[in-house]
Order: sequence, then C-alpha cells, then structure tokens
Amino acid sequence: MPPAETTFLEAIRQALQRLLREHPDVVLFGQDIGAFGGAFKVTAGLQQEFGADRVFDTPISESAIFGAALGMATMGLRPVVEVQFVDFAMTAVHHLLNNAGTLHYRTGVAAPLVVRAPCGGGFAGGPFHSEELEALFCHMPGLKVVYPAFPADARALMLGAALDPNPVIFLENKYLYRHVKEWLPAVWGPAPLGSARVCRPGRDAVVLTYGAMVHESLRAAERVHSEDGGEVMVLDLRTLKPLDTDAICAAVAATNRVLIVHESWRTGGFGAEIAAVVAERTFHLLDAPVRRLTAPDCPVPFAPELEKAYRPNADKIHEALVEVLEY
Amino acid sequence: MKAGANITKAEALALLRTMLFARRIEERMIRLYHQGSIFGGVYCGFGQEAIGTATTAAAGPDDLFAPCIRDMTVHLGRGTLPLDIFRQFLGRATGPMRGRDGNIHYGDLRRGIYAMISHLGAMLPVVTGGVMARRRQGRDTIGFAYIGDGGTSTGDFHEAVNFAAVLDVPVIFVVENNQFAYSTHISSQFRCQHLVERAVGYGIQGVAADGNDVLALRDIVAGLVAEIRTRPRPVLLVCETLRMRGHGEHDDASYVPAELRAAWELRCPLLLLRQTLVADKLATAAELDALDAAVQVEINAAYEQALGEPPPNPATLLEGVYATG
Repeated sequence: MPPAETTFLEAIRQALQRLLREHPDVVLFGQDIGAFGGAFKVTAGLQQEFGADRVFDTPISESAIFGAALGMATMGLRPVVEVQFVDFAMTAVHHLLNNAGTLHYRTGVAAPLVVRAPCGGGFAGGPFHSEELEALFCHMPGLKVVYPAFPADARALMLGAALDPNPVIFLENKYLYRHVKEWLPAVWGPAPLGSARVCRPGRDAVVLTYGAMVHESLRAAERVHSEDGGEVMVLDLRTLKPLDTDAICAAVAATNRVLIVHESWRTGGFGAEIAAVVAERTFHLLDAPVRRLTAPDCPVPFAPELEKAYRPNADKIHEALVEVLEY
Repeated sequence: MKAGANITKAEALALLRTMLFARRIEERMIRLYHQGSIFGGVYCGFGQEAIGTATTAAAGPDDLFAPCIRDMTVHLGRGTLPLDIFRQFLGRATGPMRGRDGNIHYGDLRRGIYAMISHLGAMLPVVTGGVMARRRQGRDTIGFAYIGDGGTSTGDFHEAVNFAAVLDVPVIFVVENNQFAYSTHISSQFRCQHLVERAVGYGIQGVAADGNDVLALRDIVAGLVAEIRTRPRPVLLVCETLRMRGHGEHDDASYVPAELRAAWELRCPLLLLRQTLVADKLATAAELDALDAAVQVEINAAYEQALGEPPPNPATLLEGVYATG
C-alpha cells in the first residue's frame, strides 16, 4: 500500500497501541471502547490485539470509571479512560476535582491517569455533544490539560500524557478526528507537556489558540496574507496546563498585536487566562488592545444555521484580525 | 453474643483493644474540641467501633480499605498508630496528610487504606479500581468499602456497586446503617424495608448483620472473605447499628429519640464484648480494666508527643500539588 497521510484519530490510536505494546501497566476502559472500538473508533482493534483484560467495556458510569481509574493509578497501573463526550464528564467531575486532583497533595501518592475526552462542535451535535470545557479543568488544582491540534502532536502528547505521573485531561476535538491529516514521522516518542508551537510565523499580529481553532486561524492568517500581505503568526498552545507562558510572551514580543481564539464560552473562558498572562507580562509591548474571539455565552445550538453563528470560524477570525491589525 | 469456639483469648482481647483505642482517642478528641484546641470538626464513631474492628480482623494483608467517617477502627485495625491519628487531628507536619487535610480524611496505602474525601460514595469506585489493579498484578486482594445509610442514596454508591458487579470485582460494600445521616432519619432516606434488599437489584449477594456484635460480625466477614477471595464478586454487607453521638461534636443530636439511644447504649459493642469475655471466663473484669488503663496510658503519651511536634511550614504550601518524576 502506498504511504498515506495519517488522520488525527488514527494518530491517537497509534499512540494507544504503542502504549499497550510497550507498557504492560497501561489499561484502557470506558463505554463501548472494547470490541466495538469506541463511539469514534479511536480504540478500534485494540481489544482484539491486546485482549479484554487490557481494553474493556464498562457500564455507563462516568463516576465509577474515573474513580476506578484513580484506584488503579494508586496501585501502579496507568489507566487511560475514555469518556464518550466531554459533556458527560460533568456527571463525575468531583472525581477529577476532588479525588484525583487533590490526591498527591493530600497523600503524596501519585495518580498517573489519562481521561480522553472528545469535545467540540461543528457537526450539529447540539448542546450536550459539542461542549468545550477546558477552562473548567484548567481551574482545578493538580490536573494537567492537553489539547492538541495536529496528528503528530496528538500522538506524541498522548504518550507524554500517559507517562506523566499526574492526572491528565486529554481533549480530542472531534472536528479534527477525520478532517486533519498529516505525514507522521517514522521515529517518534513522548512529547513533554507544557510546550507551545509556532505553526505559522509572522510579525504583524499573533493568534493565540488551540484545538480546532488552530486550523481556522491558519486559514484566516493565510487570507490576511493573500489579501494585503500581512504576516500573522499562529501559536498553537498544545497544552493549556501547564501553560507555555514564555512562548506566549515571545510571540507577543515578536508581533505586538494579539488575538485570542477559542471555541468555548467567553465568560471565564480560557482566553481570559491567556489575556491576563499577556496583560501581566507584556503590557508594555502591545500596540493594540488584546482581542478575544470566542463562542458567545450561550448553550451550543443544534441547527446548523445557529451553530454557524455560534462557533468561531476562519471568516470571523479574519474579520477580527483585520480589526486588530488596523487598530 | 457468644465467643465462638474459633476465637482465642488473645484474638478477643485484640478486638477489644482496637475498640478501646478508638473510643478513648475519640473521647480525648471531644475534650480537645470543647477546649477549642482542635482545628475543624470532630466526627466520632461511638457505637460503630465493632464494624471496622471485625472487618479488619477478618481481612488479609494485601486487602484494600476505603474507610468512611466513623471508621477509626479500620485505621487502628490495619495498624495505624494512635500517634499518627493525633498528628492528623492536630494538623501536624509529621501526620499522615502532613496538614494537607484534616480530621477523618486520612489513610496510608502501605496499610491498604485510602484517605477518604468528603463526597460520600466517592471512595467506593476508587477502592474497586485498586482491587482490580492488584488482581491484575497477580495478588488475591479483596476490597472493603464503607458507607453509611445516607451514602447509599448517592449516585457513586449505585455506580460503584453496579460496576463491581458487572466486572466481578471482589469488594465487600459495608453499609453501616447507623439510622441517621446528619439529622435525616432512614425513614426519609430510602423506601425499601431493609437496605440489604438493594443487593437483589444489583444481582449480588446481600448479607444483613448486627453491627454491634464484633465476634459474630467477624465470623460473618471471615466467611465472605474466604468465598469472594477465590470466586471474585462483590457483596453487600449491611450492618445495623446506631450513631451514638452527633454527626460531629458541633451537633447535639437532639433529634435522636432518647429511648432509641438508651436501648442502643445497652448494645454498646465494647460493653457487649466485655460482658461476653467475662461471662465465658476468657478474661476477668480486673484484667479488662487493666487493658483499658494501659490503652489510656498509650493514648496520653501519643497525644503529648503529637502536641509537641511542629505544624507545617507555610513555605511548603505549594509542595506536592503535582507529582514529579
């Protein structure tokens, strides 16, 4: 078969497969992830390859899944669990906030576990299958939050997350699963958590973003360039906690104008945290006010016409960029 | 209550000693609380000492425990030192939680004990997962997950019991029906006649037991342990008892009818065991008084030592939020 580009989904599957192969302490469990391969097929074939002892289904029990993962992690396993949609993690969020997130601080016992959480909208999933909850997880002490935008990063960060000695929320934007492909390196390993990446260089403004919005921002930046020659940098944060504040400051220093883009709600959204970092550390470098482009404070609507109005996209980002550049 | 043929004098005295330690430590905590020399609240297990004592006595060295609010005897039964309990309640840097969490929220996984969080039911899936991990590692671990009558109303209780049932995880879900969840009587907590009926709905074995008869309870638990260690599956064990003090020492529990309390005073687990030991001539009253006095001396020494130890250094505030390496 000729070599092909790899989808975001397949990249995560490769990481899980490698973890199962190389780390006997890794186990995968969740709803429908076994023989069925998961609602999105991220775990397709893994139970067949590694057995129902390592990859198994559970009842619909977000609390029991998170709680059992924590118990396993305290005994030397490295569970990687799937919550079918991040929206459903809210029925069990006390296990992340109070149980897993506080464990090491309280007891000195490490909790190396990963919660894989498909998230995000753009496909008429409605209010309960489209949410973006990264800001909530980032607010919780003791957790790390990873949010990749590219297949190679997703694959390497999944290894990094599973080998980290802390609870990690691994956010997988569903829009990326099959829409984003790239050539993956033959040699790869775990990526450190907490490192952003400039995925488009530029000197006139920077878009600070993550997840699906990285790709929308890249399109908007390209349009700015093709229409009036402006050079817009796009910084993919990749990990939200710990946050690569040095990379953010370097990007602001190189461009002096900032647009923050995310798919989640505005009030208390993670963009507010990024804006605060920019204001605290690089206020003197700014040539324009920090601008946020986010979803409005509104439940995620179902009808495509409404969701298009709700969700940021390349056109809206382009419009905001023009304003930032012209300020 | 009868001292069964299968208990030695030493074993019976060990059970009494565990219960005496818990009772006398808690009496000291109550005094300290009313003197204002304890941080936060004090939550006691008066009347429920037999449950942790009997279950830990029937358990094995590799077993895992998720004690709840009133289970000091689980800690003591697994070998936690009274000194560490005083360090914990006094918030000392030397204590098991190093001042990061207080009072009843402590544990020690070297002894197989998870430190509880306040959210009732939240430790049940955790100990279930711990047992699954140890079994994968080739050990014959079983779990003990403790919860009150009130805690059985939570979603976590349901999820954990069903999860363990479906996945055949050997955990004994020990329900301590002490009849009051804070001020809420069981008549406002559930509609089944007896909580053991819940087991039917989960497709697991349910066992009802007297939570104040430490000898009988130990025998029941030993039987369950032997069964599920070799044929893994969860069990619901409902222990009938009464909470003999308030939810915490801030609570005078005036909502508990005096006659109910008086009836259960006569069924105090320490009293029952003492009566049996004397009646069966396993020990004399003087011997048991001497044991009690010796426990008190140890407690005094532990308290004095903990009192003299340092509180946490504020400079360590951020240490340990994340694990490294």
